[in-house]
Formats: sequence, C-alpha cells, structure tokens
Amino acid sequence: MRYLGKKLITLIMTLFLVSAAAFLAFQIIPGDVVTSILGTEATPEREEQLREELGLNYPPVVRYFHWIADVLRGDLGVSYRYSKNMNEMMPVTELIGDKLPVTLWLAALSLLLIMAVSIPLGVLWAKSKSRFADMLLGVSTQAAMAVPAFFLGILVTYFFGIVLKLFAPGGYVSYKKDFWGFLGYLLFPALSIAIPKIAMTARFLRNAMLTEMNADYVRTAYGKGCSRRRVMYGHVLRNAMIPVITFLGMIIAEIVAGSIVIEQVFGLPGIGRLLISSVSTRDLPVVEILILYITFVVIFVYFLIDILYRVIDPRISEK
Amino acid sequence: MIKIENLSVAFDGPEVVKNVSLELKDGEILGVVGESGSGKSVTALTLMGLVAESARVTSGKIYFDDTLLLEAGKPRDKALYRKFQGDRMSMVFQEPMTSLNPTQRVGKQVDEVLRLHTQLDAAERKKAVLNAFASVGLKEAETVYSSYAHQLSGGMRQRVMIAMAVILEPRLLVADEPTTALDVTVQNQIISLLQDINRKQHNAMLFITHDLNLARRICHRIAVMKDGCVVEQGETEQIFNQPAQEYTRRLIEAVPSRLKKRKSVQLSSEQEKDIVPVVQVRDLSVFYRDAGNSLFGRKRRHCVVKNVDFELYPGESLGLVGESGCGKTTLSKAILGINREIEGQVLHNTLRPQMIFQDPYSSLNPAKTVGWQLQEPLRARGAIDGSQEMTKADMEEAAYDMLRRVGMEEKYFHRRPSQLSGGQRQRVSIAQALITHPGFIVADEPVSALDVTIQAQIMELMRRLQQEMKLSYLFISHDINVVYHMCDRIMVMKDGRIIETGRTEEIFGAPREEYTRLLLAASQDRNKD
Repeated sequence: MRYLGKKLITLIMTLFLVSAAAFLAFQIIPGDVVTSILGTEATPEREEQLREELGLNYPPVVRYFHWIADVLRGDLGVSYRYSKNMNEMMPVTELIGDKLPVTLWLAALSLLLIMAVSIPLGVLWAKSKSRFADMLLGVSTQAAMAVPAFFLGILVTYFFGIVLKLFAPGGYVSYKKDFWGFLGYLLFPALSIAIPKIAMTARFLRNAMLTEMNADYVRTAYGKGCSRRRVMYGHVLRNAMIPVITFLGMIIAEIVAGSIVIEQVFGLPGIGRLLISSVSTRDLPVVEILILYITFVVIFVYFLIDILYRVIDPRISEK
Repeated sequence: MIKIENLSVAFDGPEVVKNVSLELKDGEILGVVGESGSGKSVTALTLMGLVAESARVTSGKIYFDDTLLLEAGKPRDKALYRKFQGDRMSMVFQEPMTSLNPTQRVGKQVDEVLRLHTQLDAAERKKAVLNAFASVGLKEAETVYSSYAHQLSGGMRQRVMIAMAVILEPRLLVADEPTTALDVTVQNQIISLLQDINRKQHNAMLFITHDLNLARRICHRIAVMKDGCVVEQGETEQIFNQPAQEYTRRLIEAVPSRLKKRKSVQLSSEQEKDIVPVVQVRDLSVFYRDAGNSLFGRKRRHCVVKNVDFELYPGESLGLVGESGCGKTTLSKAILGINREIEGQVLHNTLRPQMIFQDPYSSLNPAKTVGWQLQEPLRARGAIDGSQEMTKADMEEAAYDMLRRVGMEEKYFHRRPSQLSGGQRQRVSIAQALITHPGFIVADEPVSALDVTIQAQIMELMRRLQQEMKLSYLFISHDINVVYHMCDRIMVMKDGRIIETGRTEEIFGAPREEYTRLLLAASQDRNKD
C-alpha cells in the first residue's frame, strides 16, 4: 500500500511538471493566439477584446494556476480555435471526446500485439537449433527494425488492404456503433506500429534467454535431470523476462507517439491531426489537455509494468 | 562403482583434461585437488554430463556400475543421463546463490527433483522436501520452503543445495568447492554435514577443492591434478606425508600454516610512545544511508562500523579479520576517505594512502595497457598538486622500475590485463598502489582470489616490498592463517566493532574473546597436524 501511495504521488507530481513545461513552452515559442485567430488584418480594439475574453491579459503564472484550478474542477476549458457555432466556443472535452479513445485503443492494441507475438517468437528463436531459422529470423528482424512505422503503414495498406482486400483503406466504424468492427479497423494500423517493436522485443528476449542459459542455476536444473524444454520454460523464461519487461516499459512512449503518426497514414480520426494543428495554431487549452492525457496513459502503463516486474522478480520488492 | 577411464576433454583449443583415470567405490570420498585451471571441475562436469556443449570428449569412457555413460567419439546420450542426474548422481556447486533459480521458491526447486524422478503426489513430495530440509539442519523448514534464494543466508542456501542433491540418496555425490564461497564458521558446518550424509547414505563422493587442508580432513583418497593431468593419486595420509611428486610437495608447502615461522616487527611500548603513527583512528563510526525508502521521508542511517579506535605504526602490518559483512571493507573505505558518512577522526601522517583490492580481474581496466595504468597515479598526482616536475619519460621510467620491483619483466609493460594471469594481475595492482611511494597501504583481501602457490608468492612479495619501501599495511582478510603470516598485530572485528586487538602471538596463543577462539578453532580444524 505504501508503495502504491508513493507511486500515486509521483504520478501527480509528474503531471504537474509536464503541464507546467508545456505551458512554459507556449510562452517561449514565438506566435500569438490572437493573431492566429483573427488574422493580421484585425483592428487593435477587436484584438484587445479577444485577449480579454480569453483571459490573456493576466501574467502567465496566474493564467497557469487559473487553468489548473479549472481542470481540477473538471472544466477542461474551451478551444481558442474551434467554435461550436457563431456564438459559442468549443469545449475541449467535446473536441477530443471522440478522438482520444481511437488513439488509446490503437496504442493498446499495438502493445498487445507486441507482447502476444514477440514473446513466443523470442522463445522459439532461442530454442531453435536450426542455423537456417536463426539466420532467417536474424535478417528479417533486422529489416523490420529498420523500417519506419509510417512507411510500414503504407506497405500494410497496400498489401493487406488493396492486394488482399482484408480491410478497406480509409474505412472506419465508430467504436460506439460497432466495437469489434472498430477493433478490426485498428488491427492493421496497430500491426504497422507493432512490427518493428516485435522484431526488437523478440531479438531482445532471445538474447536474454541465451544469456540466461549460461547461468549457474541452469546447470543445477540440468543436474536434476531436467530436459532442455523443461529448463527453458520452467527456469530460463521467467528470468529472461525481467530485462524484457524493462525494455517494454521503455518503448511505451514510442508506441503512443507511433500511434499518433500512424493514424494519419490510415486516416483514423484520432487525436493526431488535432494535436498537430493545435500546436501550430497555438491552441493551448487543447494541447495541454492532450499532453496531460498522453502523459497520464504512459505513466499508468509504466506503473502496470512496474507491478508486473515485481510479480516476476521477487528480489525487487525487498530492495 | 564409478570408473573414469583415460578421459580427455577439449574445448576449442588443446585438451584441458588429459588421460584422467579415477575410480570411486560406494561410501568413499575421493578428493580431487588442484589449482584453478587444472581441469578438476571439467572432469567433474563431464562425469555429471553437465559440461558445456562445446566440449569434446577426445578419449576415454565413463562407467556407472556396468552402464556405459559416456564414450569418446559418441554424442552424449542425454536421455540416459537424465535418468541418472538428480536420482543416482547429483552435484553440489561452489556458489549457492547463483546456483539456485532466483525467481523460484527454493522448496519448489527441490520439489522438482521428486517430480522428475518419483511418482509421489504433491502432498507426499512436500513432506519429503520438508524432511530433507530438516535432515540437512535447516530449522523452520516450512519457512525455508517458501523462501527465495536471496532471502536465505549463504550457509542456508548451500544446505538447500545439499538437500536438493541428496533427497533421493544418490549413489554418487559430486561436490565442487562446496565451501569456498562461505564464511569460515559456516564452512565447517557444511563439511560436517557432508561427512554425516556420506556416513548415513553411504554414497561415493567426489570432492573437488583447491584447499589441501580441507581435502586432508575429509577425503579417504586424494588425486592431485595439474594442467589437466592427474599427477599423483593415493591414500590421503600417504599423499601428505610422502608426496611422490615435486608439484604435490610444493602445493602442500604453499598452504599457509601456523607451524611455519614468521618474522615480525617488534616495538617495545617505550618505542611506541616516540614514534608518530602512520594512521590514527579515533572513535570512528561509519554509516551508510538507505537509498531513500519514501519520497519525502528522511533517509535512514545505518551504523555499520561502531566506535573503532586504533593506531598503525611505521613499518607495521596490522591485520583486520572477521567474517564477510562484519564491516571490514566499510572501515577501510572510511579510513581512505572513500566513504564520508563518518563520525570520529581519522588522522593520516602519510600522503596518498593506496589500496590493493581483492579481485585483480575486475579492479584493472581491461582496455588499457599495464604501463598506462601504472602511470595513471602519477598523472593524477600531477593534476592534484599542479606540480608537473615529472616528464613523460620520468613517469615511464618510474613505471618500468616499479614493474621490476614487483618481479615482472619489462615486456609486460605493453600488455593488457587480459593477457596476464591472476598472480601477475595482482602484482600489477600492487605496483599501481606503490608507484606514488605511499607510506600506508590498505590491502583488502589481496590474496583471497588467488591459488595457494600464487598466494604464497604474493605474500612474500608484499613482505619484501614492505621492508624495501618502509610500508605500513592494514591487511584485511577473512583467512586468519593468511593474517598470521603477514601481520604483527591483529584486530578482530565482529558486527562492526573491534572486539579484540593484540600481537599476533597473543591473539593466537591466548585469545580473550569467545568469538576469536571460534574463528581460530574453525581454521585450526583444517590445520591439524
């Protein structure tokens, strides 16, 4: 429990730091919200009026704490850029409400694919004694690691979508209408994100297992009369998973970033395009919330991985 | 019952085991003695079918009763071996920490032997494991059953390993340096345990060790190995009393024993008053901080060394003995200023005290040449003093000179540590420590990682250098016999405190503390003559 409390405090502090850093970045980079909304031809009076409406006349520190206070009350603010109709500003909640789940599901599916494919692949690779298989896997994972995700996305679209017609490129069903259909549409984008990481993780696991095979306790296990199979699954795998779990933790952020890029390639209505356009139009409320969400998700997955780590390695919890 | 005939084993290069023939009868303990690299472990692992796959058996056969286990030129019959391993033959290894799976409860690991070789159900197996734990002297067998290896002490781990090995009462038990990684007092318990098991279960035991005294204590017969060959084989007492081979004789002589004479610097108490000590330690306590358990909470301080007082005089060797974890190394680091979490005083009257470390394999930089490393302290000194009076040529000359002093040829100047033997590396470490001509050296277990014959050479070297260069040593060791040879005075440390200090003769002749007596007795057993 103490551990959980500690983690929670770290989580909250990280969110504060990240939000402050994002806010600060917007103060430093050149560009003015008012100009970007009204254009360069607006009258000074109109500019001043908008500044007043958006509360931009307060000093940055005050604005930051106003904003934090609003967020804590559940009011995520309104977009500077989008409006609902002529008279009403667009609340950030509505703006990202439909888009965020798409990106998060895409990232989650990618992670699932990575774990589901790379672990068995890595084990089989470590077990295999065939030189041919070893070479084949070595070369193909090397190649998969080198291809950027967006290019892989194009290849996947062409091969699975246009040649094999397994999915309609550009098609999409909302998760509210048909959840499984929605996941079906996410599968191929997720594959594009996952393939390079699968290659890395499988390679990593294989190397970890081969290193573990030289450990003293493996000799002990053989000494008991264990078969190679039993040694591999009963003793080596769990120990070899320890570095792999750490490795997975490190690529979580990359997966989330990857999903933002890949949803552009597949035309998915995720937060990717919104995030990019919001940054370029200085739509601070939207960017802040998106960054907070992403940070929260990444840290939360780190936390899950940390727990997994403790389950696998009993030595951790006592250090 | 076990017959190894003419066995030769090679890895990529030349044979590391050459024409070894050994025989073992039920109930007999055969000691295989030799220095590291003599092929004793490879022989045992080949017998057990556990040698690395890259090993090739180039000649010979191994029989277990009438079963031909292994024959040169034929691949190892793994299915056949699996029937024997763990059931009829089993092995205890040197390092029980790494020999146990760190992520599996130890009870389950012992249980696996039963799962592999018996038809017992889960409850029966658990009962058998608990019984085995009790029979190897593990109290609270239930707790041990559900512990992980890192939660047990070294001695307990080795008991678990032994329980695992003997639970099915194997006919053959191979023990490869089973006590080397353990503390002296624990070593004796483990040896007694192995003897007990041998008496009760009447198994044949192949006991591999580099420690001749130990072999003498428990083995019925001894085979001495050197460079992959068995050079001498016979009844234990015959080997010790009338060694036929020159090598065996040297090996026996190299063992530090209390019966050999030692010269010592004797200062009268009058003299002590006049001489300025090299180091004075006043009421020193050393702490270490927890790596912060909570985010905001204060880091807790643990006291590792408590209220230590002593002086070291010029030309003197002061021994610091105690078991691992008692604070010896922490104290030495505090004296050298590496650890600064201290209370009390350390007064140095020499410049730049130096340290010699235990493991010459990891304490030298593998990427740099010997010559470069020898000059490093000189370069560092220039950087600290701002004095640049030594030219490059001077430094090189000093390095060559130091190399000669530690008994190494000049050609080693351009070699890297990987091209040197353990003894040579330790010589380089010593040279590196001495090159700035310090008056005070802390030697932390400087010979523990070395073979006996090398140990003797290094101790001899250290004594010679002490006289030549007027050095004072603080000599740290867990081996009280080594300290006896090296030191004028001895401090005994236990749980962070110095519990007894005295002249070497006093400590050995009339120890005041019970713990000192225990330490002495533990090593005496192995030294009885």
